[in-house]
Order: sequence, then C-alpha cells, then structure tokens
Amino acid sequence: MIPTILADDEILARQKLRHMLLEEAEIELVGESGTASETVNLVRREKPDLLFLDIRMHGKDAFEVVDELSSDPGFRMPTVIFTTAHDSYALRAFEVHAADYLLKPFTSERLKIAIQKALLQIQSRQSFPPALHAQGSANPYANRIVFKSRGRILFLPVSSIRWIGAEENYVRICTESESYLLREPIGRLEEKLDPQTFLRVHRSSIVNLQFVKEVRTENTGESVVILLNGQRLSMSRSYRSRINDWLTHC
Amino acid sequence: MHRPEPANRGSTLPSFMRLPAFLVAGALLAAVFALQEWVEVRQMSRHISFTLLLAAWGVQYLLWGVICWGVWRLLGKKLQTISLFWALAALLPLSFLLSLLEEMIWVLCFPNLPLWMPHMRYWSRVLFQLRAELVDGLVIFWCAFFLFRGVGYYQRFREKEAAAAKLEVQLAQARLHAMRTNLNPHFLFNTLNSISSLMHSDVAAADLMLEQFSNLLRICLERGEAQLIPLHDEMEFNEIYMAMQDRRFGGRICQDIHVEPELHDALVPTMILQPILENAYRHGLSHVHDTGLLKVEARREEARIRLEVLNSGIGLNPQTPRDSDGHHFGLTNVQDRLRLHYGDDQSFSICEVAPAKVLVSITLPLQLCEVPPQFLTEYGA
Repeated sequence: MIPTILADDEILARQKLRHMLLEEAEIELVGESGTASETVNLVRREKPDLLFLDIRMHGKDAFEVVDELSSDPGFRMPTVIFTTAHDSYALRAFEVHAADYLLKPFTSERLKIAIQKALLQIQSRQSFPPALHAQGSANPYANRIVFKSRGRILFLPVSSIRWIGAEENYVRICTESESYLLREPIGRLEEKLDPQTFLRVHRSSIVNLQFVKEVRTENTGESVVILLNGQRLSMSRSYRSRINDWLTHC
Repeated sequence: MHRPEPANRGSTLPSFMRLPAFLVAGALLAAVFALQEWVEVRQMSRHISFTLLLAAWGVQYLLWGVICWGVWRLLGKKLQTISLFWALAALLPLSFLLSLLEEMIWVLCFPNLPLWMPHMRYWSRVLFQLRAELVDGLVIFWCAFFLFRGVGYYQRFREKEAAAAKLEVQLAQARLHAMRTNLNPHFLFNTLNSISSLMHSDVAAADLMLEQFSNLLRICLERGEAQLIPLHDEMEFNEIYMAMQDRRFGGRICQDIHVEPELHDALVPTMILQPILENAYRHGLSHVHDTGLLKVEARREEARIRLEVLNSGIGLNPQTPRDSDGHHFGLTNVQDRLRLHYGDDQSFSICEVAPAKVLVSITLPLQLCEVPPQFLTEYGA
C-alpha cells in the first residue's frame, strides 16, 4: 500500500479524487489538505510516498510547496502527481520530476496511468539510494518526453515507444495503443534516445529494439523490420548489419 | 442584427456650407472694405456717408455670397473632383461671366453711383464698374473655388476616418463571429446534453466524454482568434471529436484518417471539417445499423490541397426527410467561410459517389505556415 496525500483547495475536486482513489488497491489515503501551508505540515508529519498536488491553491503555489519540502535535507520528498485545470505549468512540473501531470477533469483510466508511473518512480527510488539515482540522471539520454497531444499533456516514458516514423517536419510516435504526432525533426529525437535501445533503421523511422521480433529480407530483396505486434517497417540496407549484431547478442 | 445607419450617408455636403454662412461671410467682408474706404476717403478730406458705403459694399459682397452659394450648390461636388486643367478651362469664362452679372445687378441697385461723376448711361456705368472691380470679382471667385476644394479634401478626410472606424467595428464583429463558429453552440450544447444523459446510464462514459470535451475546449481556447491554422491542429481537434462520436456509435463506425505528411503544416480555416463531420454523423452514419465508414483524407494536388470526407449512410436522396435546420446550416457556414478566406480560389462539392456513399470535397490553395506553431516538447530523466 502506498501512503498518499491529496491536496486541492476545491472540496469537490478532493471528493472526486478521493472516490477515484478508493478504487485503486495500491493507494492508501492518509490525509487531505486544502491550502499550501497545511499541505507542507501534513506531508512533513505523515511522510507519504505519493502526493497529489493541485498547482493553484490559496497561498503558495504547488512549486513553492515542492521547494519548501525539498529544502529540508533530511526529508524524503514524496513522488508528486500534479493536478491542474490550466496547463501552462507542465514544463515546470516535468523539471521537478513529477511522475505525471493531470489536467482536470480526468477519467479514472487516466488516473490509473498516472498511478502506474508513480509506482514505478517509487520503486526505482527504493531500489536505488538517492546518490546513485542522481548519477543515473546524469545519463545524457531521455527517459521520458513531455509533449502536448489532443489537448492533453503527456509525460511519456520512452520505454513505451514502439517505433517512430518521420512525416516531414513531424514525427509520429507509436506506443502500444496510440500514436502521437509531434512537430519535431526525427534527427533531434534520435539524439535524445539511447542508441542501445532505439535504432534508426531508415531515413524516416526509428524502432525500439525491445519490440523487434525479427528482421527479414523479402523476395523483392527489400529488408523489413517486424515488430512483436506484426507491424512491418522497411529498412535501409546500411542499417542491416547493426540490427543483426544486436539480434545475435540477445 | 440591428445596426443604426450612419447619419452621414455617402458624401453629402457639410452642414456649415449653407446660405446664411455665405451671407454672413459676405457681410463681414463688406463691413471691412466699407470701413477701409471710409477711412481712405476721409483722409483725402472728402465727405461720404458711411451708410452709402456700407450699402454699396454690402450689396456687392452679399451678391457674391449668393453667387458663391449658388456655385457651391450646383457645382460643389464637381469642383472638388475636377482636375485643375479643366477647372481653368471651364471656370475662367464662368468667372468672367459671373463677375459681369454681379456688376450688372449692382449697377441696377445704385443708379446714382459712381459719385462725383457726370451722369452716365447704364452700360457705361457697368463698364466703369467692371474696370474698377473685375479683378476683385475674379479674386473672390477663385478664392471661393479653392475654398471649395479645401472643403472637399476635408470632407474626404473625415469620410476616410469614418470608414476606418466602421471597418474596425466590422472586424471586431467578424472576430466575435469567428469565435462563435470556432465552437458552435449547437455542438457545445449537444455535447453537454449527451454528457447529462450518460450520467444516468453510464458514469464512466460520461466521465470520458467530459475529459474529451475539456480537451476540445482547451484546444479552442489556445487557438484564440487565429482564423487559419495548421492542418495538424485542425486534425487533432477532429480526432478528439471523432473519438467522442465513436463512443456514441458504440464503435460501429470504421474511421480512417489519412493526411499526407507534407500537409501537416498546411494552413486551413479553423473548424472547417468539424461541421462536415457532424453532418456525416447526423445525416449519414446515424442511419446505418451495421458497420459504417467515415474516411477523412488530405491530399496535395500540385499547388492545392484537397480535403475529403467520405461517409456511408443513406446517400443524398432528396426524398429522405432531414432536419431542416442542421443539415444546410453547417455546410452553408463552411462554404461562406471558404469564400470569405479564398474568394473564388476554392471549391466545395458534395455528391453521392457510390450508392449510399456521400463525398464532401474541398480544395484550397496550398499555403504552409511559415512560423511553426509552438509545441511543448521536452526531454528529461
């Protein structure tokens, strides 16, 4: 069970989240607060693992709450999921390593995704001491990407990306169930992704090697990458040997 | 909508150019000249009655006042627009004629003048008077002419100012209208009503629809007043809209969206496809009981972009009863906006391409957005 606190100055917003959290088996609600200073005190007292934090509350805003809590060196900061009705703070939330960023109103499915991300973050913190964790974040490659798609803000873990296709000035990022179109050159995205996991197989596609089932040469002589879900991506000859190396290594 | 007609319609003549104004101006000038002559005559130690002087000058200038007023009334507008060459060619004879006329009337009024001269016959007196006063008459006429021209310039300046103000009001109204079409009330309240209905039967579905609806509102708010937006933004909106509709149709509809990659940044009028999609759902797909088809496609055709929406349903059978309000309004609005943005450089067509399949097709000139829209994309641990 994850001890959790929820902070929001709207009674109805708290009520909704409380009801939704009751459905979540992993979550144990240990307190609620309606103002920034109350939140700081409550979190210091209860030491929860997870904090749902409304960005705009009376008094200080959520980032000041985070600053105040993390300024105490002996205190272990809980994992934070920000909630807000207005979305211009997503980047700041991303910078303070929030697990997710929920735009109100959100559905219980969206909440479940956020909780899963928070659980992962909590687990990785428990398995790595903070010092090692800090070293881990010196890794030049991105672990997640924040972007806006269809009116939502997504903190997408790169591990959930199956493949990426270039569409002129845009890239299409495909996960298990969805695809997102981002205005971003594929080259810039490639630089940010760990080449151990993500391989450029074509001028216009990158695959996540974790999801590659096989590489095949068709009767026509064309090479294709086949993903675990059966998706086929054509491959340039020059990339062939690299992917073969990888396939033989594992 | 009621809008009061402007009081000053077109280029009517300004209100201060009326007969009394001309007469007052004439009287003032007359008084000045009469006083001047009276002083001069006294210095030459002769005597003259001031009343007579005032009467003589008064009649002369009041006559000129009436003449100028007449010229203004009859020719005012022409004088303001005529080229200087034609002004000289036509008005020079007129100015002589009017000066003659004025002197003839004046001489009639004062048979005893000039003073201190032997009695003369009428025409001799007119000639005498012309010799003395012709230049004055011409000067008065041409001064009036340039005054009229000046009034013309002033008037046009005022009109331009008024037109600019009017245009600004129209622009503001157009913007308001655009905001209304960005999220048409029909769509807004239908969605709210669907949510309200789902709350009784399926809370989770109501919740999902609210989330999607919030996403739509967020997109609309962020667009602000932009009239032309990248196709990518327009399609994002339509994808949410189609996902919402998909729920309502229980996943019966096979949705297919295809946009050529080079068109993601092509500019299209905001909310150009939503009314077409709404129309496809309401009048086509809602009549389908098994699986339906809805296909949205954006293709490049040389320097143009073609947007197509294909839906299955009941075709365009004119005997089929339809809602009279919704059907045409949405599409008329689309056509109006296309015309507004592109004039004749656009096309809109709706036709039945196969039995019970309706295709709406739009073509526009291809314009790519130069300043890429700001996207929030950041990488991190």
